[in-house]
Amino acid sequence: MQLFLDGIFLGSIYALFAIGFTLVFGILDRLNLAHAAVFTAGALVGIEIVTRFGVPIWLLIPIVLVFGAVLGILIERIAFRPLAGRHDAHFAGLISSIAFGAIILSLMQALYGADTRRFPTDAFTRVRVEILGATVSLLQVIILVISVSLMIVLTWLVAKSKLGRGMRTIAENPHAAAVLGLNVGRISSTTFALSSALGAVAGVLFTLNVNAASLGIGHAVELKALAVIIVGGMGSLPGALIGGLILGLAEVLAVNYIGSSWRDMVAFGLLFLILILRPQGLFGARKTREV
Amino acid sequence: MLVEYSSLITLIALTAILAFSFYAVLIAGQLSLAQVGLASLAAFTASLVVPDEPLFGFIPPLVIGIVFGMCVGVIAAFILGLPVIRLRGVFLAIATLAFGEMVRIFLINQTWTNGAQGMSFPKLVGIGTAWIALAVVAFWFWRLSGSRMGRAFAAIREDELAATTMGIDVPRYRMASFVIAGAVAGLYGVLLAYFSRFADPNEFSFTAAIDGLVTAVVGGVTFFIGPVLGSVFLSVLPELQRVLGINAGWIRPTISGVLLLVVILFLPGGLSGLIPRRKSAKRLISDPAELPALPDLLEFGTELVRLQSLGKSYGGVHAVRSVDLTVNAGEILGLIGPNGAGKTTLVNMVTALTAPSTGTGTVLGINLTGNTKAHRLAQAGVARTFQQIKLFNRLSALENVLVGGYRITRDTLLRRLLFLPSARRWEREAVAMASAQLIRVGLGDKAANAAGDLSYGDQRRLEIARALASHPSLLVLDEPAAGMNHVEAARLSELIRSLAADGIAVLVIEHNVRMMLATCDRIMVLNFGEVIASGKPAEIARDPRVLEAYLGSSGSDEDAEAASVLAAEDLAETTAQSVRDHDRSQTPGATDATEPEDNR
Repeated sequence: MQLFLDGIFLGSIYALFAIGFTLVFGILDRLNLAHAAVFTAGALVGIEIVTRFGVPIWLLIPIVLVFGAVLGILIERIAFRPLAGRHDAHFAGLISSIAFGAIILSLMQALYGADTRRFPTDAFTRVRVEILGATVSLLQVIILVISVSLMIVLTWLVAKSKLGRGMRTIAENPHAAAVLGLNVGRISSTTFALSSALGAVAGVLFTLNVNAASLGIGHAVELKALAVIIVGGMGSLPGALIGGLILGLAEVLAVNYIGSSWRDMVAFGLLFLILILRPQGLFGARKTREV
Repeated sequence: MLVEYSSLITLIALTAILAFSFYAVLIAGQLSLAQVGLASLAAFTASLVVPDEPLFGFIPPLVIGIVFGMCVGVIAAFILGLPVIRLRGVFLAIATLAFGEMVRIFLINQTWTNGAQGMSFPKLVGIGTAWIALAVVAFWFWRLSGSRMGRAFAAIREDELAATTMGIDVPRYRMASFVIAGAVAGLYGVLLAYFSRFADPNEFSFTAAIDGLVTAVVGGVTFFIGPVLGSVFLSVLPELQRVLGINAGWIRPTISGVLLLVVILFLPGGLSGLIPRRKSAKRLISDPAELPALPDLLEFGTELVRLQSLGKSYGGVHAVRSVDLTVNAGEILGLIGPNGAGKTTLVNMVTALTAPSTGTGTVLGINLTGNTKAHRLAQAGVARTFQQIKLFNRLSALENVLVGGYRITRDTLLRRLLFLPSARRWEREAVAMASAQLIRVGLGDKAANAAGDLSYGDQRRLEIARALASHPSLLVLDEPAAGMNHVEAARLSELIRSLAADGIAVLVIEHNVRMMLATCDRIMVLNFGEVIASGKPAEIARDPRVLEAYLGSSGSDEDAEAASVLAAEDLAETTAQSVRDHDRSQTPGATDATEPEDNR
């Protein structure tokens, strides 16, 4: 039970990160590799805010959401929008987002240095609760609640709201969407903003969970998130959630039964297997080619 | 000076070799991130076999390491390629990335690699070795770029489906680019380990893969010198900042990031796009003496296509039901019918792009089954154009047609590596063949234009020229006159007749009924996936069922126009007949004027 819960906690953070990743991919067909940098920046800025102002967690999350959203808009404006219409927009988008991510990270280094940073020890509750025979901290429960509710809100937004309809129209055919009078630029910006807001919050939650943040945390999670969105199905939001949970559980079990040095093999082995057996992922739809 | 920078200069060469490994897959339109994983596999396994002393007294240990490492790279890339080669784009990138990470984790957990502590290697690589290796690799890619293989890679990058219908075995070429990349990656791994004298599996990480990719893309993948430029740029940049006295830890990555962003946003072709260069395949060779010797087409009247109750259904929808059809050499068979009648589905089955659900079919002796590969049919002599134009947009018009000549040309890569005169002769033959087709369709003066920049009508003609360059026995044209005006359509009609006069069987779909009546020997009318009429144009024009099909259709402009033509045809049957006779009497003259290769 303990293992199961640990897996769920870890998995929900992976899922929150991955869902932002897959949102951009599913709707705009772009892989935003600056997402990891947003994750790191969210974590470091979150620590800074708590250290300096001592804000409680319910205030911290909205602040970080806004911070992430602003970063997302910048990423879209600077690294992606100028590439629109270029034949190599795919490759170029990868590279420009890598470059933008590197810039974010180096600015973080300028602000906070390269050392590992932590939340102040007494910043958050350290109450531990017992659930079904397993001991977990209240903080972990809060993390789970926040990430799951954010994901539910996002899924509802995409499925039901006017904005979501616009997003799905663009996913289907950006050109037709523009002809129909949708403001493709604004919807793209909003998509990036949402995606990055979630990425930044995921950074904070991840840091709360392990209580350590350094410049490198984004990279490890980025690789895991790629596994998550492939397992769940590229562009599928519920897929990212389930994929995240599967990966979290698989990793915790692997550490327990195989050994921690092989932990990462699980993610990539799973990823590789899924890509070969079912490239569209567990929840993705197969795209047909047209003649 | 040289001593101070010798390690930087060596690293530039090594980074460029890694970038070439990415270049090898990027030129075929694939994004693979397995390279550093392959490199690390090669480096660590090479350490197991490289002897301390020269083998047999004269083979230096490093040579053994390089050969072994490249073999490891090739074999590992091949094995990795077997399952992942069918993945595309981002999926391929992620699968190969996963492979790279799996290699890293595997090597870290091995005792013989010392795990994360790393392993020391003797120093066998210096500045000279590194640059010689780079020169060899660059030379290979230089000679590749003008060869048939290089053109096939470019075609696959631009449009896989069109490449398949030129007879290019796409999975095989994709695998070839994968394996070439593996060999170069293996070379890089061994050189790097024996240069830096120390390696631990964590150095060959995701970040290293991304660095390699960035180097290749910044340098540009349209010109073989790109990886070198990218490597120089990205290696010298931090060094330059150091010399300038910029030392704060964060400024250097910031400046590098900004410059990378600027390059990628404002230099679409990468740094190599800045270099003005002579485009090799731009000039026509119109001397008929240089045309290649081609096998004769099949004799007039030979049966090339036989379909028996061929059908295709998607779910419960019958796109085509039970069509019987034959096409003979030298014959023009027209396929008309309202929108959605199943015409394109039918020709897709004939060209093996769509597998039939029912019935049997034989095209040029090849049975149409679910396993028939489109490129095999193309190699047998089927060429086609597409309803939605599928040109290689970034290649010049002449280069497009050169790719079309894939079937009748030979691969020149090995001969080009050795500068054999035959390589040059064969390439000139290929250009002469392509030039003749361009001139034949009237695009001789636009050979150097990028295909994507041509007008709609010109693009249609270019597709036909590309199809003709393969010297096909059967030519399938899917709405060749769409978007053409009357004059252009009339010229196209002449061209089609002249092709049939050469002995090519032409299967043509077209909405321009007037043109079809004047062009075809036989016409089949499809409606709702069924043949409702078949026969000579005059009979079709009189057939009330045909007119009814068009009138009863959903009523697109094209269909309405076809109906009005058919209605008028009923009244003016005799006139139409005389027009047709007139057209045919014109044909031989037109043939002479537009066909340079007849002089041969």
